[in-house]
Amino acid sequence: MTNKNPYIPMPVKISRIIDEVDTHDIKTFRFEFLNKEDEAGFKYLPGQFGELSIYGKGESPIGIASSPTQKGYVEFTVQRAGAVVPGMVTSALHEMEEGALMGIRGPLGKSWPLEYLEGKNIVIVGGGFAFTTLRSLINYMIYGKNRERFGSITIIYGARNPGLLLYKDELIEWGKRTDLNLNVTVDKADAAWKGREGFVPAVCKEVAPGKENAVAVICGPPVMIRFTLPVFFDLGFSKANIITSLEMRMKCGIGKCGRCNVGSKYVCTDGPVFSLAELDNLTQEY
Amino acid sequence: MEKRLIKKDALTGIAKKMAGDFLVWAPVKKEDNVLFEPLEKDAEPFFSYLNSKNAPKNVFFPHTETMMKYTRTEKGMVFSSEENKTAPSVLFGVRPCDAHSFALLDKLFNQEKYKDGYYIAKRENTTVISIACVKPPYASCFCTSVDGEPVSADGADILLTDIGSDYLAEFMTPKGEKLVKYFGDTKADAAAETKKNEIAAKAKEAIKSKIPAHEIKPILDKNFDNPFWNTIYGKCLACGTCTYLCPTCHCFDISDEVKGSDGVRVRSWDSCMFPMFTRETSGHNPRSSQKERWRQRTMHKFKYYVDMFNSIACVGCGRCVMSCPVNIDIRKIVEDISKL
Repeated sequence: MTNKNPYIPMPVKISRIIDEVDTHDIKTFRFEFLNKEDEAGFKYLPGQFGELSIYGKGESPIGIASSPTQKGYVEFTVQRAGAVVPGMVTSALHEMEEGALMGIRGPLGKSWPLEYLEGKNIVIVGGGFAFTTLRSLINYMIYGKNRERFGSITIIYGARNPGLLLYKDELIEWGKRTDLNLNVTVDKADAAWKGREGFVPAVCKEVAPGKENAVAVICGPPVMIRFTLPVFFDLGFSKANIITSLEMRMKCGIGKCGRCNVGSKYVCTDGPVFSLAELDNLTQEY
Repeated sequence: MEKRLIKKDALTGIAKKMAGDFLVWAPVKKEDNVLFEPLEKDAEPFFSYLNSKNAPKNVFFPHTETMMKYTRTEKGMVFSSEENKTAPSVLFGVRPCDAHSFALLDKLFNQEKYKDGYYIAKRENTTVISIACVKPPYASCFCTSVDGEPVSADGADILLTDIGSDYLAEFMTPKGEKLVKYFGDTKADAAAETKKNEIAAKAKEAIKSKIPAHEIKPILDKNFDNPFWNTIYGKCLACGTCTYLCPTCHCFDISDEVKGSDGVRVRSWDSCMFPMFTRETSGHNPRSSQKERWRQRTMHKFKYYVDMFNSIACVGCGRCVMSCPVNIDIRKIVEDISKL
């Protein structure tokens, strides 16, 4: 970070807002840095997060949805949170328009283990809104010559219905590629849907990615994770080769404020990315 | 190391003289309590105190602290950091347990990767003068069980020890030595040092309350799900007094406050004892009852901090023991854990 004080956000402008889903509560915000040196200093990798900072409201930790291969901007896909009591920051963000100014702190946390993933067959499993940092990883891996650094790439992505799928244009583009095995599914199809119907765990079973030299990167709602993990255990994936990302309430994002720990590890600085083997070694708090 | 002898009745004068040159935090009587406050002109420091009601951590880590200020203008938001805005200060007369807490907090706020400039600036700009406990102030003191001693310079720049008619002043750090001129010209002789060592040994002996703080670490490593945790939280009111008074508790919240076009982002003490501490916007709370919160507090002090920094995050001051409205006693909890 160019600003040496890690608590002070870098000023950014919202350059684009994409309304992702037909319930209009998930939007992708594209930010451009006001200062060139901030942009140069914001060196991130897929899987890291940032604190979105709105003056007068506060900050929210959100995974970075763009890939570092996309230059000149950084994107975050944000759900308006809180069904009963609205989230201060995410509600305010959803009210903002293109051109609005705000702040970002980051990049924070650890990325997907790219060095470990290199040369391996990658299986990406995403459910619903938790697809954002997986999207970052996919765009990173398929960018230009980066693609050569990885083996086969299998993507299994599900949403409750077709209207809730994120990044619809990109899904179409990815579907055209021959070097990706893309499997998009919905829990419940509608009349216009021509794709696959079925829950993510069932689709994983059907697609049955091989365990040889393979790593599964899985993000989704708890119920999806719960039923998907046994499928991968049955396929013979070891816990070291199943990787996920955790969420906790955070404030500082830099391991000081003391609330996002799982045992002796802080999700903000030691995570959010952990393998199941690492999670097994953590205190079984949650 | 410089060592001086000062007459006991000279202490107040030294503090007042320093207060003319620096911001001096000293123990002062406030209603029924003794608190560390900036020493105002003509105010009397109260050095015959036992210990302050609150830990003096607020000198480096204020209860509420402005992190940044911002103003909405026609050209957008203009903001400025409030980091490094500190004056040279002296923290005069803390107890060795509290000075020990600064050494512990340094490990967190002055970590290699992320440095907390707000804390560090105040810490570096402040000279800490400890007054040794030649007699343990309270029956609940247990510093010797958690790597402390009643006569110890750990975390301090200058240590004052009452050796009878005089204070022996030991200047432990270059920062402390810079203040040597305030302490007169009487160099301490070897006899004074011998006396001090005798007093230190006696004082250590006089700490009767002992807990197996180190012994429980391997037990905590394995007993996260022990039914024991069901037994300690029942009477807890979640008032947060223990964390508020604790010298090593450092959890904080960050929030924004706005008036008109001007706003501030502030951090303020938070507490793992509060239900809201970990509650997420969705309503989900990973630590859903006081049981999980008590386990977190105990684990953080006697296991997690040890895992992270190889130090127990407790200095044995006994404030939480004395001030808990429902008499929850961390010494008893540690004792019970040692028998699991």
